Amino acid sequence: MACVYIPVQNSEEEVRVALDQLPRDASDILDILKAEQAPLDLWLIIAREYFKQGKIDQFRQILEEGSSPEIDEYYADVRYERIAILNALGAYYSYLGKIESKPREKEEHFILATQYYNKASRIDMHEPSTWVGKGQLLLAKGEVEQAFAAFKIVLDGDRDNVPALLGQACVEFNRGRYSDSLGFYKRALQAHPSCPAVVRLGIGLCHYKLGQFERARQAFQRVLQLDPENVEALVAMAILDMQTNKAAGIRKGVEKMHRAFEIYPYCAMASNYLANHFFFTGQHFLVEQLTETALAVTNHGPTRSHSFYNLARSYHSKGDYEKAGLYYMASVKEINKPHAFIFPYYGLGQVQMKLGDYRSALLNFEKVLEVYPDNSETLTVVGHIYVQLGQVEKGQDLLRKATKVDSRDAQAYLDLGDLLISTDINAALDAFKTARTLLKKDGQEVPIELLNNIGVIYFEQGELELAEESFKEAVGDGIWSSFINGKVNYGTVDASAAPRLYKDMQIFTRLEKDGINLDLPWNKVSPLFNLARLLEESHKSNIASLFYQFIIFKYPDYIDAYLRLAAMAKARNNIQLSIELVNDALMINEKYPNALSMLGELELKNDDWVKAKETLRAVSEAAQGKDSYSSLSLGNWNYFAALRNEKRAPKLEATHLEKAKELYTRVLAQNNSNLYAANGAGVVLAEKGQFDVSKDVFTQVQEAAIQMPDVWINLAHVYFAQGNFPLAMKMYENCLRKFYHGTDAYILLYLARNYYEAEQWQECKKTLLRAIHLSPANYILRFDAGVAMQKFSTSTLQKPKKTADEVRSVVEELENAVRVFTQMYGAANLHYHGFDEKKIETHVEYCTHLLGVAKVHCDAATREEEQTRQRQELARQVALAEDARRVAEEQRKKQLEKRKLEDEQKRVQQQEEHFRRVKEQWKSSTSASKRRERSDIDDDEGGHSERRRRRGGKRRRKDRSSRSRYDMEEEEEAGIMDGQEELEDEEPARVSDGEENPQDPLAAAGLEDSDAEDENEPPSNAGRWKRTWSESDDEDTLRQQHSDKDRNNQKTNGDDPVENM
Amino acid sequence: MKLSNLKTVESAHDDSIWAAAWVPPTDSRPPLLLTGSLDETVRLWRPDDLHLDRTNTGHCLGVVSVAAHPSGAIAASASLDSFVRVFYVDTNSTVATLEAPPSEVWQMQFDPKGTTLAVAGGGSASVKLWDTATWQVITTLSIPRPETPKPSDKGNKKFVLSVAWSPDGRRIACGSMDGTVSIFDVARAKFLHHLEGHFMPVRSLVYSPVEPRLLFTASDDAHVHMYDAEGKALIGALTGHGSWVLSVDISPDGAALATGSSDRTVMLWDLSMRASVQTMKNHSDQVWAVAFRPPGGNLRGGRLASVSDDKSISLYDYS
Repeated sequence: MACVYIPVQNSEEEVRVALDQLPRDASDILDILKAEQAPLDLWLIIAREYFKQGKIDQFRQILEEGSSPEIDEYYADVRYERIAILNALGAYYSYLGKIESKPREKEEHFILATQYYNKASRIDMHEPSTWVGKGQLLLAKGEVEQAFAAFKIVLDGDRDNVPALLGQACVEFNRGRYSDSLGFYKRALQAHPSCPAVVRLGIGLCHYKLGQFERARQAFQRVLQLDPENVEALVAMAILDMQTNKAAGIRKGVEKMHRAFEIYPYCAMASNYLANHFFFTGQHFLVEQLTETALAVTNHGPTRSHSFYNLARSYHSKGDYEKAGLYYMASVKEINKPHAFIFPYYGLGQVQMKLGDYRSALLNFEKVLEVYPDNSETLTVVGHIYVQLGQVEKGQDLLRKATKVDSRDAQAYLDLGDLLISTDINAALDAFKTARTLLKKDGQEVPIELLNNIGVIYFEQGELELAEESFKEAVGDGIWSSFINGKVNYGTVDASAAPRLYKDMQIFTRLEKDGINLDLPWNKVSPLFNLARLLEESHKSNIASLFYQFIIFKYPDYIDAYLRLAAMAKARNNIQLSIELVNDALMINEKYPNALSMLGELELKNDDWVKAKETLRAVSEAAQGKDSYSSLSLGNWNYFAALRNEKRAPKLEATHLEKAKELYTRVLAQNNSNLYAANGAGVVLAEKGQFDVSKDVFTQVQEAAIQMPDVWINLAHVYFAQGNFPLAMKMYENCLRKFYHGTDAYILLYLARNYYEAEQWQECKKTLLRAIHLSPANYILRFDAGVAMQKFSTSTLQKPKKTADEVRSVVEELENAVRVFTQMYGAANLHYHGFDEKKIETHVEYCTHLLGVAKVHCDAATREEEQTRQRQELARQVALAEDARRVAEEQRKKQLEKRKLEDEQKRVQQQEEHFRRVKEQWKSSTSASKRRERSDIDDDEGGHSERRRRRGGKRRRKDRSSRSRYDMEEEEEAGIMDGQEELEDEEPARVSDGEENPQDPLAAAGLEDSDAEDENEPPSNAGRWKRTWSESDDEDTLRQQHSDKDRNNQKTNGDDPVENM
Repeated sequence: MKLSNLKTVESAHDDSIWAAAWVPPTDSRPPLLLTGSLDETVRLWRPDDLHLDRTNTGHCLGVVSVAAHPSGAIAASASLDSFVRVFYVDTNSTVATLEAPPSEVWQMQFDPKGTTLAVAGGGSASVKLWDTATWQVITTLSIPRPETPKPSDKGNKKFVLSVAWSPDGRRIACGSMDGTVSIFDVARAKFLHHLEGHFMPVRSLVYSPVEPRLLFTASDDAHVHMYDAEGKALIGALTGHGSWVLSVDISPDGAALATGSSDRTVMLWDLSMRASVQTMKNHSDQVWAVAFRPPGGNLRGGRLASVSDDKSISLYDYS
C-alpha cells in the first residue's frame, strides 16, 4: 500500500499517510501539511491522489491552498513545486473547460486555467511544463496555431520533451497534417519507449487517417497488447473490422464494440457504432437505447451529432418523419461545418421533402451538394425539387449533370427520363433507353414501368414495332403470349350473339376451367393495355379486344378497357354495343368524363340530339367546366343544331351559332393552343361569311396540326367559297388521299361541287361516279350526277360553235341523265331515298325534252357534218380533177413541145423534103391546113375546164341557202319549246325570244334551266358559306353532309388514352 | 404459301379499275382476265404477260362489276347506269342486255353450273336471278324488310351490294350496306336467315370451294368474318387491314384467302392459321378487286390478279 511520509517539523519523525486512506475532509491533511510545513511536492502528491479517487473538491482545496499567496511567500524559493501546483490547477481547469458544454462556464474555466498558467509563467517563464500546459489549454480552446507556438517553444528548448511532442502531434492531427502528426508521435515514442499505450493509439489514428489501414491495425493491436482494456483502441479496431464490409469482419467488429461497451459503457463512439450496426440489422429498440446512452455521456459535438443522426435515421426508417426531422435537426445543430458530417443534412432534406417542405429540403440538399458537388443522387433529388417548385429547366439541368457525373447510374437516367417526358420526348426516350441498357448490363431486372414508358414513347412517335417489342418485354410471359400466337382456341359463337362478342367472357372462364394460368399482376395491366392499344393501331383488333376483355375479366374496374372496347365497337359502327359498353363503364364511375363524352358522341351518332346535349352537359358538370373536351362537344352540338333543321329559322340559327362561338372561345381562353376549338371558331366565322378571318384561323391550325383532316376540309371550303377552285381542289384531293384512304364519299362530293362551280362538267361527273361507287346507297350522289350531266348538256348546247361529236356526247349524257332520273323516279315510291317524286319527274321531263332538242341538234350536226364531208369530198374531187387537168396540161404541153419538136423536125424534114421536093418538084400546100386543126382541139379543152369551175360555184351557193333553211327550222322549234319550258317550270324564261336575238338561237331555245339563274349570280351575291348546288333541297342535303364532316373535329380525347405509369 | 409479283400493267385503263374476274379457259384459248373500269370499258387480258386482247365499249358511266360464265364462252359486265351486258367472250357480240328497273346492278355471279346469273340489286334490297338460256328473270330474292321502318332512317339499310353462290349452287349469300349478310335457299327461292356481326357495308363475299358451309365476308369495318352460313355461327374474324376491305377471294384449293383494301394493300391469309402471311404493297391506291384464277385446262401454278384505283393491274404467282 502506497503511503507518503510527511516529515514532522524540527524532529526526525514523520507522519505516515496511507494514500488510500486519505481523510474525507481535506482540511485535516491540509492542517498537517501547513503545520509541519511539508514540502510542496507532498501537497501535490496528495492532491493528485484525491483526484485519482475522484475526490475533486479535496483535490482543488489542497491545490488552491497550495497556491495561495501565503504559500508563495513562505515557499518563495521553492519554484518548481509551486509551478507544478499551478500547472496542475491549470490543467484541471483546461479539462473542465474542454468538457463543459455551456459556453459561459466553459469560458470561465478557460479563464481560470489561463490565470494559473500565467501565474506559473511569472514564477519561471522558461519552465517547459507550463508551456506544455498552456499548449494543451490552447488546444482545448481550439486555438491550434497558438498551441503550436507554445509546444514549439518547449521543443526548441528540449527536442525530446515527450508531452510537448505529444501536444505537437495533437496539433498536427487537428490541422489534418497526419503524416507530420505521425512524425511527432514517433519521436515521442523514440524519446520515451515505454510511454503509455495512448501514444500508439495516436500513431494508429494517424495511419488510419492516412489510409494505411494495415499499419493502423498493427498500432491498435499493440495498444491492446499493452492495455487490453483500452476502449479507444478496441473501438478503432472494431471500426477497422467493420470497414472490411465483409460479414466476418463486421461480426468481429461488432464483437469488439461489444467488449469496448462492456469495459466502458460510456464510450459514445462505441455506442454510436453499435447503434449504427443495429440500425442496419433493424433492431431499432437497441438503436434508441444506445444512442441515448451515447448522448448522455458525451458532449463531443461530432459524436453527439452522429448519435442524433442514428436516432433520426431510426425514426426515419420507421416512417416517423416528424421525430426523425427533429433529430436530424439536432444532429445538424451539433455540426459546425457541413463538411464534417453531411449525412444528417441529406436525411433532413429527405424528411422535409416527405413533409412537403421543398424549400427547406432544397437548402439542405444544396449543402450536401456543396460538399459533394458530384453526388448524382443528390443532384437527382435537387433536380426533382426544382421540378416540384416549377423550375423545370433547372431541374432538367441538374438531372443531366447527374447522368454526366455518373454515366452508369441507371436511376439518374430513369429520373431524367421521367422529368423530360412532358417536355422533350426524344431526350426522355434517350434517357430511358440508356437506363435500360445500364440495368441490363448490370444484370438487373429492368422495371416494368421503364419498359412501359419506352413503349409509350415509341408508340407516340409512331415506331410501332419498337413499341411492341418494349411492351412485350414489359408484360413478359403469360396467357397473353398464347393469345398473340393464336394458340388459344376462341371457339365459335352464334352469329346472332356476335354483336355481343366484345362483352363475352366465356373464353376466360373456360380457360380457367381448363386449369390454364390466367394470372395478371397489377403492374402488368398498364403495359398490357398499352400493348392492346398498339395492336389496335396495327389493325390486329382481334387480339386487342381479347386483351381488353382479359383486363376487364381480371380487373373489372378498369374503365379505360371498357372505353377502348366501346371505341372499337364504334369504329365498326356497332353503336348499340358501344353504348352498352360505355354504360358499363359508367356503372363503375358515373362521373367519368371520358365515358360521358363518349356516350354523348354516340348519342349524336344515333341522332339522339336532346339526349346527347344532356350527356355533354353532365360531362361539363362532372369536370367542373374544366374539361375543354366537353365544352368543345357542346360547341359542336350547337353548331350542328344551328344547321340541321330542314326548315331553318334564322333566329334559332343565330342563337345556336352564337352559343357555339361562345363555347369555342371559352375553351380557347382556357387553353389557347386548343386546335379543335380554334377550328370550331373558324367554322363559325366562316358560317357568318367572314372568310378572310376564318381562312387565317384555318391556315394557322393547319400549320400547327398537319394531322387534322377537318381543318384541311374547312380550308378547302373557304377557298371554294372565295372562288379559288384550283386551290380548293388540291386541298380536297390531298385530304382525301392523306387521311381517308380515299374512302370518304363526302370529300368526293365537295370535290365534285368544286368542279361543278369551275364548270368542269366531265370531271364533276367522274368524281360523282367515284362517290357513288364508294357510297352506293347515297342517292343524293346519283341525283347530283344526273344534274351534272344535265348541266353539261345545257352548257354544251349553249356554245355557239360545237362539233357534231360534242352534240353526240350531249345526247349520250342526256340519255344517261334521263336514265338516272327515271330510275330514281321509279324507285321513289319505294322510299329508299328522300327525294320528292315530282321534282325528279320534272328533271326527267326536262332532260327528255332536252334530249329531243339535242337529237335534233344532233341530226342537224350530223347532217351538217355529212354535208361538210360531202363538201370536203367534192373539194377533194375538184382538187383531184385539177390535178388531173394539170397533169393533162403538162402532158399536153409536153406533147405540144414534142409535137413542136416533131413539127420542127417535120418542118425541117419537110423543108428538107420540100427543099428536096422543090428541088424535086416545086408545088405543095397541105402541111399548113393540118396545123390549124390541132389548135382547134386545144381551144376545146380549155372551154371544158372553165365550165366545170363554174358549176362548182353554183353548188356552193346552193349549200348556203339550204343551211339557212335549217336555221329557220330550228328557230321555229325553239319557239315552241320555249313555251313548253315556261309551263313546266312555272317561271318565265330569263332569256328573250329567238326572234329578238337571232344571233343566239340556242339561248332562245330556252335551254337555260331554272337553276341556271342561281348559278349565274355573281359571287358577291352568293356570299353564303355553301353555294347552291342546283336546287334548294340539294343545298340542304349538302349542308348536312358538310356538318357531318365538321362533326369529325370532335376528336375524342377518350379515344386513345395511352397510359404512363 | 406465298405470292410473288409476276407482272404489273400501269395505266391498264384510262381511269380507276373497279372490277376483275377470270374467264375460264376454252379448248381454243387460255383463261383470260376481265377488267372493268370507270373509263366505261371492259378489257380482256391474256396472261401471264397481261397482253391486252380486246377493249369492249358500250357501257355508260363506270363499269362496276364483271362476271364470267363457267364455260368461259360468255361473260357479263354491268355499269352504274344499271345495264347488264352479256357478250360472247371471243367475238364481243352481244348476247343480251339485261335491265330490271328500278333495281340497280352491283355485283354479279354465275352459278357453278352456269344456268343462272345472280345480280345484286342495290336499293331494291333484292337479288335478281336471270335464266342464262332465255335471259329472263327467274325470280327475285328479296330481303324481308324490317316490320316498322323508322321514319328517321334515311336510305335503305338493306341495300344489296354483293352476292355469292355456294359451291353446290343451293345457296346464295348477299351482303348489304348495313353489314348484314342474308342467306337464301335458291331452289325454294326463300330467305333463310341473316348473319350478323358487321355493321358496315359488306362489299364482297365468297364461299369456300371445299367446305360448302364456310362463307367469308369483307366489310368496310376492316374485318373479314368467317361464318358457318348454315349454322349462323361466326367462326372467326381476320383483322389486319387498316381500312375498308373491298374485295375477298379464296384460292381454288380453299387454303388461302386474298383480300384487297382501301389501305392500298393486297393481303394473303393462311386459313389454317387464321392469320395474314403476306402483304403486297405494290398498288398506290384502293384495291377494288382481287381474283384467283379458277383451275382447269392443263394450267400449272395458281394466279391471283388485283386491280386498283391507280389504273393498274397486278398479276401474282400463288404457291
